[in-house]
Amino acid sequence: MSKRERIASLLRTPAGQNLARGVLLFAVLAVWQWGISAGLRFWLSSPAKIAEKLGSWIADGSLWGHLGATLLVMSLGYTIGCIFGILVGLLLAFLPRTRQILAPYLSALNALPKIALAPLFIIFLGIGITSKVALVAVTVFFLLYSSTSDGIANIDLDLTRTLRLMGATRVEVIRKVMIPASFPWIFSGMRIAVRYAFTNALLAELISANSGLGYLIEFYSGNFDSSGAYAAIAVLVVISVAITEILTRIEQRFRNLPRDFPA
Amino acid sequence: MATRDVAAPMQAKIVLQGAGKRFDARGREMRALEPIDLEIGSGEFVALVGPSGCGKSTILNLIAGLLAPTEGRVLYDGTPVVGLNRSVGYMTQKDNLLPWRTVKANVRVALELKCRSTTSGDIDARVAAMIETVGLTGFEAHFPSELSGGMRKRVALARTLIYEPETLLMDEPFGALDAQLKLLMLDQLQRLTRDRRVTVIFVTHDLGEAITLADRVVVFSARPGRIRAVRHSSFERPRDVFKLRFAPEFAGLYEDLWDELKDEVGKGTDV
Repeated sequence: MSKRERIASLLRTPAGQNLARGVLLFAVLAVWQWGISAGLRFWLSSPAKIAEKLGSWIADGSLWGHLGATLLVMSLGYTIGCIFGILVGLLLAFLPRTRQILAPYLSALNALPKIALAPLFIIFLGIGITSKVALVAVTVFFLLYSSTSDGIANIDLDLTRTLRLMGATRVEVIRKVMIPASFPWIFSGMRIAVRYAFTNALLAELISANSGLGYLIEFYSGNFDSSGAYAAIAVLVVISVAITEILTRIEQRFRNLPRDFPA
Repeated sequence: MATRDVAAPMQAKIVLQGAGKRFDARGREMRALEPIDLEIGSGEFVALVGPSGCGKSTILNLIAGLLAPTEGRVLYDGTPVVGLNRSVGYMTQKDNLLPWRTVKANVRVALELKCRSTTSGDIDARVAAMIETVGLTGFEAHFPSELSGGMRKRVALARTLIYEPETLLMDEPFGALDAQLKLLMLDQLQRLTRDRRVTVIFVTHDLGEAITLADRVVVFSARPGRIRAVRHSSFERPRDVFKLRFAPEFAGLYEDLWDELKDEVGKGTDV
């Protein structure tokens, strides 16, 4: 086997691919570091300086405070938004006339990019955590409201009719047909909403905050300290990957459902 | 279920008095069912046969209360049907199984309802027995999507029979089954409905199926549906669904019914 063939066969194994990935990363970082020392512009920072910054944040513990702040905003807003979105979606499904009246307003608000509301939330609620939680919650609320009502709109009426003929009460039809039937839609709404919650928490922090990853990026960029901004972005990359990975795991667990279960 | 004196004369369970149905389809009036009169006795097994679109399914929907008649009345136990009729079990052509429930959970769904007030230990035993009856033992944990069309039909049958509705409405329930399986299902249906003296209204295209099961076969004309003929199928019960077809009286009745039906088939709107 020639050398080329050996490399090709190595690259077909998972370990070989990971090795290639590592080499690629190292090469990019090395070229970057070399370029900086050869006199490139300061706003590119350098891998060494970024690592140094990250190290100092970990050493003084400030990283955990900022990371925690972002995750807190995200998870509080997400939870509140999910609960109210699902509740309102279910409630309006059983109040068709109210829903018809509200529909144009709800779809107008749904279409509005929620980030536009961020400055208003800051006026109403201050620059603390509340205004940021509100922005995330509102974003998630509309996502979950629409996926829940879509789910209920797609229920097979023959199924509810079958249960009604068996003698099911309204509540029993809701519990045994409507909620399980709309569950896949609700779940897919919840899955999409995680990413929106993360993005909006970050955007809110970029606009105005005194803690959080978004705040770090904004603060260091404002001070022309590109190492700090890159370090915060590096943390962001790790968190995004972690969130995606967790979601994929949860989804795989739910894949045990029957094949024709809409998802 | 209350025990009834078998010798007592049949009282009318279901009465259609000049009951008809018109639909408004895109501004044009469509008649699904001409006003008809039909009485069905308690415990009677009636088969409705006729060309496609003659309104047989409309009759079932009127009795179930899924549709309201535009003319006449539909009485159940002497009172007009208003809203859904909870005394009937309805098996439509579509199996309507809950896709997120396993076979076992689908069969038990009716027993979980408050109106049945069944204890959970009791439910498990009844579900297991019913699943065995329809020959699905071993498939309890399967989801409907993992079953063949015939198996799904059997789950739907089990789910309907298990809560012992006093009247069964069946709309071509075994249309999609192969001939052998169909006979097995007919045999089971006959036994289960006879034991409990269930009133059955059975819509079918299959004259043989109608003669085999029913006490009375009602032939409908093409759309708009009218009753064209009524024949009694007075074979002794229990009937041997596998051999009845070879009896000379069976052939006679079949021919007689076919004479009534054949003129109508060509007029069917779907043909």
